[in-house]
Amino acid sequence: MADELSTGAVEDGDEFEDEEVDLTTLDDADLRTQMMDDLYDGLAEEIAEGTKILLSRGWDAEKVLGDVLVEGMRIVGIDFRDGILFVPEVLLSANSMKAGMAILRPLLAETGAEPIGTVVIGTVKGDIHDIGKNLVAMMMEGAGFEVVDLGINTDVDEYIEALEKHKPDILGLSALLTTTMPYMKVVIDTLRERGMRDDYIVLVGGAPLNEEFGEAIGADGYCRDAAIAASMATELIAERRNAA
Amino acid sequence: MTRPDQTPAKPRRRRSGGRRGRQAARVSSTEQSVAYLERTLPAVDMLDEAGYAQIETNAEIILEEVGVAFQGFPSALDLWREAGAEVRGEVVHFPKGMCRRIVQANAPQSFIQHARNPAHNVKIGDNSTVFAPNYGSPFVMDLDRGRRYATLEDFRNVVKLTYSLPHLHHSGGTVCEPVDVPVNKRHLDMVYSHIKYSDKGYMGSVTATERAIDSVELSRIAFGGDLQDRTVMTSLINASSPLRWDATMLGAATVYAKANQASILSPFILAGAMSPVTIAALAAQALAEALSGMAYYQLVRPGAPVVFGTFASSMSMATGAPTFGTPEAGQAIYVMAGLARRLGVPFRSGGQFTASKIPDAQAAYESASTLHPTVNAGVNFVLHAAGWLEGGLSLGYEKLIMDADQLGMMGVYAKGIDMSENGQAMDAFRTNPAGQHFLGNDHTLQNFETAFYRSKIADNNSFEQWEEDGRLDAAQRANIRWKQLLADYEAPPLDAAIDAELQDYVGKRKSEMPDALY
Ligand code: B1M
Repeated sequence: MADELSTGAVEDGDEFEDEEVDLTTLDDADLRTQMMDDLYDGLAEEIAEGTKILLSRGWDAEKVLGDVLVEGMRIVGIDFRDGILFVPEVLLSANSMKAGMAILRPLLAETGAEPIGTVVIGTVKGDIHDIGKNLVAMMMEGAGFEVVDLGINTDVDEYIEALEKHKPDILGLSALLTTTMPYMKVVIDTLRERGMRDDYIVLVGGAPLNEEFGEAIGADGYCRDAAIAASMATELIAERRNAA
Repeated sequence: MTRPDQTPAKPRRRRSGGRRGRQAARVSSTEQSVAYLERTLPAVDMLDEAGYAQIETNAEIILEEVGVAFQGFPSALDLWREAGAEVRGEVVHFPKGMCRRIVQANAPQSFIQHARNPAHNVKIGDNSTVFAPNYGSPFVMDLDRGRRYATLEDFRNVVKLTYSLPHLHHSGGTVCEPVDVPVNKRHLDMVYSHIKYSDKGYMGSVTATERAIDSVELSRIAFGGDLQDRTVMTSLINASSPLRWDATMLGAATVYAKANQASILSPFILAGAMSPVTIAALAAQALAEALSGMAYYQLVRPGAPVVFGTFASSMSMATGAPTFGTPEAGQAIYVMAGLARRLGVPFRSGGQFTASKIPDAQAAYESASTLHPTVNAGVNFVLHAAGWLEGGLSLGYEKLIMDADQLGMMGVYAKGIDMSENGQAMDAFRTNPAGQHFLGNDHTLQNFETAFYRSKIADNNSFEQWEEDGRLDAAQRANIRWKQLLADYEAPPLDAAIDAELQDYVGKRKSEMPDALY
């Protein structure tokens, strides 16, 4: 440090200057690296552009998704866990992922490739706490899931309507009040009554819940935070697909 | 007045009954109990006139341009339309100055909340400070049993302890959530427990309109007759920030306003998620929210007692977790208290907050970092003044005792400096030669017992003494104390006929509805 200062080797200003990069001029390997940086920096437009370029160069959608986007977001996840990236930054990264996914999703469907998965999530009836649920939705989107967010104060009919419409892999329920937690059981019991329970993986979360509560009401998993929710979703879908 | 050159005659010491008399006196001289604090300590301002005025201007701009949503509650929109506000969908836009005018023209500057025992009536507003315990925790923890879901037994224990702790002036509301009682019946047991096991003031239920109605009915029975001329409950109505009041809270608020009961209209903001991250922005938003809520209350019933609430904390930008005891939250308390003073309404904020899971050093530091701003800012109603752990998810039995001990100290601060003749103690100087200690001086003998706050929790003994006493830390000493308090607890008198009527009401309401999960 001292040396650098005395020799004046470090130029004034930002070491990582916001240089314009023409993505089309990069070869595939450099473009992939650049896109992973852009995901990290939360640059949605650049991710959309990069995705299109790779596709135009003959990459198939699955490869763009797996090699670039999912891998990039995996790194984002690690740095979030380690306290290097902050919530607003991860939100931007997740939005960039979403921008890429919007382009890839129809192509993936065409090729019949297995999608990462769809999640229907909402805060249960009587409850308006949604900060945690929004973080979960953000992390799920970051992991490449398509997320249908039903918002707050969601009653069982709204959940069921959304399940029938979107046919998701996962149903996520959030509750922050001991007065609304029991409603999660109402939702799960109703699914069972209608013979729909086994069609979905049901994940629950919210600060006043715990593992035992999740088990007691018949959920497939209790998630203590958003990162766990995303990883548990990925694992349980993989398990289920392997079993099928 | 004695002249400076005169030595006052030494008052003769009187017989006190020797050892037996003194022992009896010391044991019975329990901590000084006051109904609430009357502050002489001047409130600290963190902003100058220009700063406050700017925030007030910003709040008016927010009220007019952005507006506040009154969600799922059409009757509120009707009231606002009639009052001359512009309603677009569910969002109400207020002409500049409208809410402020309504509040200032109608809301009382202070009010008395009556308690079952008039000695525990509290004044809320002006120069008063009222301490109430923790609110809303689904879990409780103590050193013996660890963390667990709270039960009705825990709820009753906390009410009993709060009744026994002289520095808690108010019994609070949902001191912890009795998770073992069906959701739609809990409020009956909670309100009944406050009435039965304490004679301090309490809060009503807010989680549904009919639960607020039940709270009013139970209070009518407890206090006898109409409550229109007496405020006996102060309940907690939280905004669903940013800039939104939801139907549940509006339903409860409307019930309480109509019954002339007090409510705390409380913006509840985790900055970052629910407001911009800066204090000036949070303050403008919270002022706008509180003004809109309090003005609504006045539209429902002009003159109904309201409290300007603010619960402000931040969110960890690294993880999303709520944080407590941070300097920014302390600043918010000062600024909001100043804004409430200028408006001329009672103010609720602060408490002893922490994110810690156990009564450890983090818990103590963070709590102190909230409590001192609370007292210095001149907060009138302090919810969560004792027992809070884990960002409100858990109530700690030991923490309750430790916090209550701190509240006793705050009583001393709030009183300010005693500048009476006795406070100046000039006679003590005149009667004590230079260089001689004051332990035998008359002034000392007359004042020593109450001169210094004596903590029931702190250990000031020698290392050896402490070791002989079992090397206990503060939490372990608090553990002994709450058990002792519960063992010594005696319920305050409650008229048998009233008790029977209360129980009938609870029984009747419970039998009218099947147990429900929501
Ligand atoms: C797959 O699905 C999944 C998976 C994982 C999931 C998941 C779903 N959902 C969550 N997760 C998990 O991942 C998330 C990210 O890591 C995590 O989510 P969390 O939500 O836990 O964490 C968030 C990132 C940050 N945490 C939060 O946002 C919640 C913080 C606390 C302080 C809180 C807040 C902020 C609020 N509150 Co409320 N609030 C409290 C909370 C106390 C606490 N410490 O938790 C609690 C929950 N509230 C309480 C109360 C009493 C209330 N609140 C109320 C209102 C509010 C606000 C509107 C002011 C506000 C919410 C704003 C909003 N837009 O969400 C009222 C109820 C309103 C209603 N009808 O719902 C009111 C009744 C208060 C009143 N008298 O008005 C208490 C619980 C009551 C009880 N016994 O059950 C409470 C413990 C605080 C307290 N001590 O009073 C995980 O739990």
